[in-house]
Amino acid sequence: MIKFSNVSLIYPNSTTTVLENLNLEIPEGELVLVIGPTGSGKSSLLRLINGLVPHHTGGILAGDVSVDGHSTQLVKPGGMAHLIGIVGQNPANGFVADTVEEELAFGMETLNLPNDVMRKRVEEVLDLLSLASLRDRSIATLSGGEQQRVAIGSALVAHPKVLVLDEPTSALDPIAAEEVLSILYRLVHDLSLTVVIAEHKLERVIQFADRIVHINGAGVAQVGTPEEVLMHSPIAPPIVHLARALGLTEIGVSVREMRRMTEDIRGKEYVEKVATPTQIGETIISVRDLSVTYDGKPALNSVSATISSNEIVAIMGRNGAGKSSLLKSLAGISELRSGSVDVAGSNPQNLKGKERRTSIGFIPQEPSDLLYGQNVQTECDQADKDNQIPSGTTAKILNQLVPGVSATTHPRDLSEGQRLGLALSIVLSSNPAVLILDEPTRGLDYQAKKELTRILIEFARATGKCVVIATHDVELVAELATRVMFLADGDIVADGTTLNVLLSSPAFAPQVSKVMSPQPWLKVSDVVAAITAHQ
Amino acid sequence: MKKLSLHPLTWWIWAIGLAIAVIRFDSTVFTMCCVGAVAVVVFIQRENAPWGKSFNWTLKVSAWILFIRTIIGILIGVPIPGTTLFSVPIIPLPSWMPGIRIGGTVTLERLSSAVTEGILICAIIVIFGAAASLTSPHRLLRVLPVYIYEFGISIVIATSVLPQLVTSVSRIRQAQKLRGQSLRGFASWRRVAIPLLEESLARSLDLAAAMDSRGYGVSKKRSRYRPIKWRTADSVVVFTALIVLGLS
Repeated sequence: MIKFSNVSLIYPNSTTTVLENLNLEIPEGELVLVIGPTGSGKSSLLRLINGLVPHHTGGILAGDVSVDGHSTQLVKPGGMAHLIGIVGQNPANGFVADTVEEELAFGMETLNLPNDVMRKRVEEVLDLLSLASLRDRSIATLSGGEQQRVAIGSALVAHPKVLVLDEPTSALDPIAAEEVLSILYRLVHDLSLTVVIAEHKLERVIQFADRIVHINGAGVAQVGTPEEVLMHSPIAPPIVHLARALGLTEIGVSVREMRRMTEDIRGKEYVEKVATPTQIGETIISVRDLSVTYDGKPALNSVSATISSNEIVAIMGRNGAGKSSLLKSLAGISELRSGSVDVAGSNPQNLKGKERRTSIGFIPQEPSDLLYGQNVQTECDQADKDNQIPSGTTAKILNQLVPGVSATTHPRDLSEGQRLGLALSIVLSSNPAVLILDEPTRGLDYQAKKELTRILIEFARATGKCVVIATHDVELVAELATRVMFLADGDIVADGTTLNVLLSSPAFAPQVSKVMSPQPWLKVSDVVAAITAHQ
Repeated sequence: MKKLSLHPLTWWIWAIGLAIAVIRFDSTVFTMCCVGAVAVVVFIQRENAPWGKSFNWTLKVSAWILFIRTIIGILIGVPIPGTTLFSVPIIPLPSWMPGIRIGGTVTLERLSSAVTEGILICAIIVIFGAAASLTSPHRLLRVLPVYIYEFGISIVIATSVLPQLVTSVSRIRQAQKLRGQSLRGFASWRRVAIPLLEESLARSLDLAAAMDSRGYGVSKKRSRYRPIKWRTADSVVVFTALIVLGLS
């Protein structure tokens, strides 16, 4: 169905090739997963399929990409519209119409399909993706998962043979992600659609993949079954790391397979690790009866909580549960309807300038909002000047966080991980008491996430510091957090140690705990520690 | 009150009718009544969408225009004799600019003529601003003939990306505030403008790529899903404007 023959790609003003001599054939009805570190050219590979690269982006393409016998060198992306549906990294940026129904119809209107065909197909797709109840809704009011489904639907109405998705679950909570992926799985099996996905969160997609294309940074690609590729790949989901740590000869890619392989390990009696009571330091954040409204609707209902020093608190919950509202109130940028917030002894709403920087460090969902310099160097200098610290301090922090960032690069040209690192080092340069992060792992690969985990744990270890992080990423929470607050509909419905909260909810349980249940282990290191203690 | 579901051209025809009536009647009282009526209609009928919110901006902008127009009107121009209110020093102009003067006596007549003209201009702006805020640009685009559809791509980008920019501005300003930056002065806007510009460019490119890969512009003919029909309600709305036009 899709054929890459000797494909090499280089972008203008760049000295490194994105892809080099890639040969790849994807047969009909396969779900192919593209993996690789950030900036390795996954998105380019996806956009090569319908010719957006190089027709839309520029760049030199050697070799040939053809889909169902049509070469992208001869046919422009528009001419492939009936053959390939493509869903971008941020589907909200690609919507053209106001309502769900009109959005679904748009692609067919441009293809000039007759009216009766359009009516039939819209109904089909509404049913297929369970969107029927949303048909008249304005797209702007939909949740992230619903928007993703609409984007998939509007690609499907043209009856394409190939569906291409760039990080379809990165902005979704685990449940919404599951929904989207199971729909894709069904499309592959029912309609024999060919699906190509790029995704960082392998733990979510790996069980659905028929084959994996692994691109490493140097533009070389390896193609194979998940077991083949993941056996030795540095990029691997926790489940594979578990198999390696246990010294299994085979690896399983689904929880079911792994449970079969680890039956004897699970079955043994283990000394229950006596939970060392976390030393609770002095209270840093205290929230009392906090209510917040967002767009006239209640976002938080009378929430109370205290966070002490050395804690790393993960705030979890569905999209729209009030996570961002809580973080914004902690940072003092949302209007409180009632209640009070106290951070490091002052009301965050009154903080200004240097005082604000030394008490609260905030990394917004888009770290680039903090950046306005023309290159990395000016950003670092600005932070040094703002905080009256010796020049070069911020650059030094940056170099520790993400080594090898060129000082003359424009922030936009950095990879997601590097950009987050830059924003983080600017925030850390003022040495705040509280570090707040809103969804930091969007678009981060495992390596960058590991780095982030290390930095945050180190930060929280110092006296009088704490970290609050809102995230959908259960694996990150398992590795990082000491405590989890679970929000639903503006209420804190669960608040406790990471172990207790994550184990009590199957949807939010990390892979290792699903495999090892009923043993209370969240991460690979827990398993290894328990087994060594046993021997 | 229930919101009417109207043909996208209805409010535009209505606005054109009212605008002609206002110009023909040329009475400040009538103009003010018209503006009042238009504002009431907008506040009742507008949708909770980005373009619906644009009417507030229209009102603000036209108030500014009225203010500036009045200042300029009383300072520059031909003197009108009448009741003197106050006088401002005359700025001497070179002899080759006869008939124009800046400053001088401000008479009641001069002030009122400046205000009247200003109100007329603002009324036209408000009336068309109302039509724009009552009509979804996307639906308007769908009823426009195919041969101007080529403008379509830019209009869709402008109407989708611009409203998002408003939310982006507040988001970026918030983030800058969190970095402990002051939100006053020229420098603060520069700090907002750069991320904003980059974001809107990225968004526009995304949207253009999405439209391109969905086959936009490949076929010159374009079929219509649910063609928008002209209904009685549309005729009624247009008829009200015609009555006003007939009375003037």
